[in-house]
Amino acid sequence: MSFVELRNICKKYKGNERYSVENFNLEIEPHEFIAFVGPSGCGKSTTLRMIAGFEEITSGDLFIERKRMNEVAPRDRGISMVFQNYALYPHMTVEKNIAYGLQNMKVPKDEIKKKVDYAINMLGLEEYRKRKPKNLSGGQRQRVALGRAIVKNQKLFLMDEPLSNLDAKLRVSMRTEISRIHREIGATTIYVTHDQVEAMTMADRIVIMKDGIVQQVGKPMDLYDHPVNKFVAGFIGSPQMNFFDVVVDGDKLTFSDGASMTLPDRIASKLSCHNKKLILGIRGEDIKVDNLALDTFKNNILQAKINDTEIMGNDNNLYFTFGNTNAVARVSKYDVKEIGETLSFIFETHHLHFFDPDTENALL
Amino acid sequence: MKTRKQKILNWILIIVMAAFSLLFLFPLIWMIFNSFKGDAAIAHDLHSFAAFLPPALSKGFFHNYTQILFHTDFLRYLVNTVFYAIIMVVLGIIVNGLAGYALAKINFPFRDRWLLIIMLLMIVPMESIITIHFFFIAKLGLLNTVIGLVLPGIVNPFNIFLFRQVFISLPDDIWEAAQLDYCSPIKYFFTMVLPMAKSAVATVGVLTFLGVWNDYLWPSLVFTSNRLLTVQIGLNAITANENTTMGMKLAVITLVTIPVIIMYALFSKQIVEGVVSTGGKEG
Repeated sequence: MSFVELRNICKKYKGNERYSVENFNLEIEPHEFIAFVGPSGCGKSTTLRMIAGFEEITSGDLFIERKRMNEVAPRDRGISMVFQNYALYPHMTVEKNIAYGLQNMKVPKDEIKKKVDYAINMLGLEEYRKRKPKNLSGGQRQRVALGRAIVKNQKLFLMDEPLSNLDAKLRVSMRTEISRIHREIGATTIYVTHDQVEAMTMADRIVIMKDGIVQQVGKPMDLYDHPVNKFVAGFIGSPQMNFFDVVVDGDKLTFSDGASMTLPDRIASKLSCHNKKLILGIRGEDIKVDNLALDTFKNNILQAKINDTEIMGNDNNLYFTFGNTNAVARVSKYDVKEIGETLSFIFETHHLHFFDPDTENALL
Repeated sequence: MKTRKQKILNWILIIVMAAFSLLFLFPLIWMIFNSFKGDAAIAHDLHSFAAFLPPALSKGFFHNYTQILFHTDFLRYLVNTVFYAIIMVVLGIIVNGLAGYALAKINFPFRDRWLLIIMLLMIVPMESIITIHFFFIAKLGLLNTVIGLVLPGIVNPFNIFLFRQVFISLPDDIWEAAQLDYCSPIKYFFTMVLPMAKSAVATVGVLTFLGVWNDYLWPSLVFTSNRLLTVQIGLNAITANENTTMGMKLAVITLVTIPVIIMYALFSKQIVEGVVSTGGKEG
């Protein structure tokens, strides 16, 4: 039985023509870590705030533990929330911030102390317990916000872009910390982020949204390997998937600059196209430049001039223009290339994605 | 690093400011030092530099003050005024604070129109409506009562506006977090909003206190009983009494003036912050 269920949830703000969230359907299992991801204005935070009770649900039903929650006050929904700007009480010390909710819940004093000590130890805030938020760094503030959420023992955690105000290094360490806390506490977690890396690394399942509409729900690797449309394919993965306008005729694929390659029968028969325009998608790591690949697929070798290179340490990004499109190949750190050099490469045909140019839906 | 020219300009500025400060302070210094002197000494020192020097410490040093505090009703007026001021400060912060919070954070019909009306009220001088207040209080049978004194003064459009300007910049997510921490709206107002808006609370508190302290007209209309009078009316009564010496007059004026100066000195930073916020950009 699902722990949280969103049934045809819609949100329309007064005076707005279009829905901010439209027909959102989702079932979340107990202890699951779900990430809502999408670009700014896609409705992910609005959906989270509807679950929290801070935004009214225009239509549809929200159930938490099978109870309809549409008209229930936020405090009675059994949730804890971590806010983007931490929302700490500025005039209270770390321990008072963490204890405040418990005091209002009339928890006995000795139990409050035990719970606060547990959270403070768990989050490594021991030496800061008497400090006020203004005297803490961004990471420490975020940990206090987590502590405040943890101590109340709620079954549902909501997190609204909790790491977006932190620097890149701290984001990585806090990501690990949040995952660890999730494992230890076991609360069902809904995590909103615009950062697909956060969603991929932390979530059991990801919900990708665009313009208020859910595009795809699935496990991180399902979304990565089997995107349902061009938006999902482009949103998930870094560097972004490369897209080329192509014409497919049987097993022959021709790029807009006239270059061509042969498709395997398996793909050609699935597509069964005759002179049809399609969008080809391929991830940077599926563009192969190594000798073994080039020798194996001699007939499909393509060429382009390198415009730019990015040395990432563990691998290199090679930027080139091909088929009148800017593209990037992610190659081994040992494949060192120079700007201006001609790059020979093949497309790993197992990992080709095809999209309808009109609907942008995936065809394979 | 300041250049030589900047340093010289800085010194000139300090000297000019010090000269102006002395110019404004000299009546105050004269008043305080002469409040310890007898009338003969005041008259003797009047045309010499000694007028700006305190008398030597002697047995009668505080004579004028003991006369004022223990042989007139001034102490009662002082206690009365502090009592009224405390009531006004507490009620003023609560009532104007709640109104300011509603105007800043709660969506209700015609909210901005209400704000405009309240802001327009700021230009109406108290003196122009004091007769209406008087008849209203008289009809309610509240003349010669503490409620009659404080009731018309609790709601203050400037204080409402000041609170509204400060509260509007408070982040909404703190209220949302507080809701999840089982905090009621009233508790949130008293335990979160007011402590987060310390400068506004201090400004309203000090301005209200000084308003009550300095008010002469309204208490003189509401009170006829000597038992209820305030320091300003008391000051007038004492200084107008022909038995009051010049030294005693200066002592009583000093006693009325010093709390005002202390209040400004203690809370000047908060007052500036609070008043500046009324002209600030909306958050």
